Amino acid sequence: MWEQSDREIIQEVLNGNKDLFAVLVARYEKPIFNYVYGLVRQRQDAEDLTQEAFVKAFFALRTYRDSFEFSTWMYRIARNVCLDYFRRQKIRSFFSLNTPVGEEEDELGDFLPEGKDPEEGVLKEELLERVSQAVGQLPLKFREVIVLRYVEELSYEEIARILDVPVGTVKTYLHRAKAKLRELLGEEFS
Amino acid sequence: MGEKLEQYLRHLPKVEPGRSFAPSVMACIAERARPSYRRYKRWVVAFAAVALFVLMLTTNLPLTPRLELFGYRTVRLVFCSTVRNPKTVAVAGDFSDWESIPMERVDENCFALTLRLRPGKYEYGFLVDGKWVPDPLSLRAVADGFGSVNSVLVVDGDTE
Repeated sequence: MWEQSDREIIQEVLNGNKDLFAVLVARYEKPIFNYVYGLVRQRQDAEDLTQEAFVKAFFALRTYRDSFEFSTWMYRIARNVCLDYFRRQKIRSFFSLNTPVGEEEDELGDFLPEGKDPEEGVLKEELLERVSQAVGQLPLKFREVIVLRYVEELSYEEIARILDVPVGTVKTYLHRAKAKLRELLGEEFS
Repeated sequence: MGEKLEQYLRHLPKVEPGRSFAPSVMACIAERARPSYRRYKRWVVAFAAVALFVLMLTTNLPLTPRLELFGYRTVRLVFCSTVRNPKTVAVAGDFSDWESIPMERVDENCFALTLRLRPGKYEYGFLVDGKWVPDPLSLRAVADGFGSVNSVLVVDGDTE
């Protein structure tokens, strides 16, 4: 079945067929929500912020340029919405931000995807839980690259475009993020 | 060992938004796209403020609050002469250390002056073409010690 490209949909939305924006929402709601959840780690906040990101994207659609993929543009909008959220939360330093592991971490088990049950594979559920909690303890910029690379499965180049940093910086962040994770997780991963 | 960590990272749980997510996004967009009072609230408030300011400056509507700062009251004295068309009318009293203050002509025989006074009792009189005349509208008068009388003004806005 022929599927309209993002650019074609955007053009139609700009031409007045605004309802078609729902197709873009449906297409990208999961990755954007995952990304936002990876940053804020609270389900309700993540849903509100993801919605806000899509609403902002709709009203800024005329400013979208083809030089980016729509998905990259959406990630960047979502990122800015999250940064605003953190500012509102009076978290002054973006780079020193640490999210305390709270009750939300316990909810993670509810979202384990089908077919990825650690009990059925080589991964141990308890270890996976610890890794997840350790990611939540990372400073935001490290957590962000971990989520984009391993949860969203984006390339270094895509991550660099989203964060607006050189590819080398992305690799450095990832290296340091994993080093920090190993430090947090102890012997088992060192 | 680095591979082990990456293996776990790749299996971090993925979450999904609720099923009604896309409809709620579209509903939110429709709501924000609709012209409403909320969207224009700041402009409505700004316009109302400017309109009120213009009205206060250009009309005599009772829009300005009567601020009685530091206990002062506004008192308006009016003198209507029985002598036709007096040339000058002034008021003097203990509120002016008995210095005469010229009054403004409001019509052929009437003069007026607005004073700001603290509440209290004041003696005063008018000087009509240089001649001392008690306030005919004042209900209370006292001897001035020179064979004439002074009117008494009780400041709460009224004369006695």
